[in-house]
Amino acid sequence: MRAKWISILVILALLAPVGLAKTKLVIAGRDGGYGVVLQLAVDMYTAQHPDVEIELLKLPYAGLYEKLIIDLAEGIGAYDIVMLDDPWATEFMSHGWLVNLEELGYTPDPDFVANALAVGRYPYPDGALYALPHVGNVELFAYRKDLFEKYGLPTPPKSWLEVMGAAALIDRFEPDVKGVVFRGRKGNPIVAGFLPIFWAFGANIIEDGHAAVASDAGIAALKFLIALKDYAPVGVEMFDSSEVKDALLAGDVAMATEVWPAWVPALDDPAKSKVVGKVEIIPPPGLVKTSSPMIGIWLLGISSASKNKEAALDFLKFVTSAEVQKRLTLEAGHVPTRKSVYNDPEVVAKYRWFPAQLTALENSVPRPRVPVWSEIEGVLGEYLHLALVGEMSPEDALRAAQERIEEILGQ
Amino acid sequence: MRRFWASKPLGVEGVRPRAAPPCFRLSMVHKRPHMRSWYERHLNFFLLLPALIIIIFLTIYPIVNVIYLSFYRYNYLRGVKALVGVDNYLRLSGDWLFLQGLKNTFLFSITATIMEVLLGLGLALLFNVRFRGRKWLLPAAIFPMMLSTMVVCAIWRSMYHYDYGILNHLLSLIGLGRVKWLIDPALALWSVVLVDIWQWTPMAFLILLAGLQSIPRELYEAAQVDGATGFKLFRHITLPLLRNHLMLAFLLRSIDTFKIFDKVYALTGGGPGTATETISFYIYREGFRYFNMGRASAAAVVMFLAVGTVTAFYIRQVLRRNYV
Repeated sequence: MRAKWISILVILALLAPVGLAKTKLVIAGRDGGYGVVLQLAVDMYTAQHPDVEIELLKLPYAGLYEKLIIDLAEGIGAYDIVMLDDPWATEFMSHGWLVNLEELGYTPDPDFVANALAVGRYPYPDGALYALPHVGNVELFAYRKDLFEKYGLPTPPKSWLEVMGAAALIDRFEPDVKGVVFRGRKGNPIVAGFLPIFWAFGANIIEDGHAAVASDAGIAALKFLIALKDYAPVGVEMFDSSEVKDALLAGDVAMATEVWPAWVPALDDPAKSKVVGKVEIIPPPGLVKTSSPMIGIWLLGISSASKNKEAALDFLKFVTSAEVQKRLTLEAGHVPTRKSVYNDPEVVAKYRWFPAQLTALENSVPRPRVPVWSEIEGVLGEYLHLALVGEMSPEDALRAAQERIEEILGQ
Repeated sequence: MRRFWASKPLGVEGVRPRAAPPCFRLSMVHKRPHMRSWYERHLNFFLLLPALIIIIFLTIYPIVNVIYLSFYRYNYLRGVKALVGVDNYLRLSGDWLFLQGLKNTFLFSITATIMEVLLGLGLALLFNVRFRGRKWLLPAAIFPMMLSTMVVCAIWRSMYHYDYGILNHLLSLIGLGRVKWLIDPALALWSVVLVDIWQWTPMAFLILLAGLQSIPRELYEAAQVDGATGFKLFRHITLPLLRNHLMLAFLLRSIDTFKIFDKVYALTGGGPGTATETISFYIYREGFRYFNMGRASAAAVVMFLAVGTVTAFYIRQVLRRNYV
């Protein structure tokens, strides 16, 4: 009899914590370096707010996209805070899947880089604010200053023709060093690698609501990329970010035409890099059009189906505040979105390319703001890759891509 | 001692059973059929019902839904749904990416299955006899199968790296040139096949080892008394008795390799060019990147028919003769 009462009391005691009202937030975020940064932010926040419990999911790029689409489209509400890439932003916001932050009473301060904040607005660029910029990714260009000086080349290279010339020269005469490296893998990698060249030639993916990739400028840009392949390491058609990063850090290439800030903190780390102090990071070169670096912000938004919107907004304000961004940048290699952090002397001392990065960010251009961008990117990525591999001619590839993109836009 | 097997059987309560109310009692089996209630007559069905419900919801319903969707143009994101009849299938037959994927899938499946079963047979024959070190060599032989596929792919991707991979390094040490494992369109698919063989031969090996060990030794001894040796023993005793296990190994590996997706996703992303495109990858891209559910469903139906045909063939073979 006594055993029965004791066991009842034990069960009640174990169930007691259920009664304590702890706010629980679930964040769907990225893995890798981004995961490390967010985890640090979560730990900092929960240390200050012990009544909030945060679960952080670290997912790969494609996995995050799939899971978010399904959760947001069905209104399941499994995630409170969602981390989204800016090309997905138009799609998510046009369906009303994210909470209007201004309606929750939030006003952004002017310390945010304007272009970074703009991609979180719908309609772009001055509609309501639906997501805050978390990672200030902007596509940059890296080159080996020591090699350029050795061959008497002007630094920094300002035009893609200079890039081609330098690649040919260094590739020919510098032993064990190839001229350039870029991402050629099918899909998002090759599109991100190709767009800086494409835009510099004056081409556009969409013009007046119609697909325009197969313009003369576009075909010329693709031919330029295929010509660059001669000076790239073997297998560049299959390269993704890790291969490009490895090639640059190992000192095997003279230039990387597309680098993202999140990849390069290790450039000056003697433990990982053989090119400490030798690589310069600049905004990408121009040609017909001046350099228009591609922006690739990772945004943080609140799901419309979330049950803890206020708590979520509080966390968002925390993680995008200046002090927290500075600490994340110094400790975890975060890429900030606030001007004050970019100009902070401590931060610049650690990451000497930040002033160039801020300039690039302030002049950056986003990818086309259409809700069907994911599909367009997939299709374009397929055909660009086939042209690069040589299975299709550049003209055929771009014309086929243009036809399919037109079909996608028309639906 | 009372002959307990001859006395009238007792009911569940330990007393003689009275006229049975409609509930399932063991006493039912001792009644003549016309004395059982409706529920008791259909007991089989009711016991199967929970499992049947689960199977219907998790298997039949999705399959029917996919076949239904394949006749529509349906984008999950835009919510647009329109009946297009066989248009999706006609599109597929003209989509060279899909046809290439079909071709690659068949090539992959046939090659990987045959190699895995042959190598598995070799390993099984090896391990069927006792030798020194067998005890710890056996787990080592099974080890690749126990690793997660993503881990396997991560390891092999770094080994296949053209500049920094260990395979090319070893080749250059012995004086041979470097190989473009995952870069050469002619080679990429076979590189992926190699990874699958490395990981899944242990499965065929285990099935065939179990089969070999179930063959009675007396048969071999009897044959040897009659003067049979080595290869004749293998051809006339081992192979016929192993037939069912071989069919099973072929069947399981065929189905598995036909579905190949994870290795392609992790190693090559479908490239270079269209060299490693497979049907699963096509379905994944159409269905979960572009969310064109109609098109993805049509491709899935085609894949289902292909696998179903292969499977039906094997099952007929296995069911035809259950004994020698």
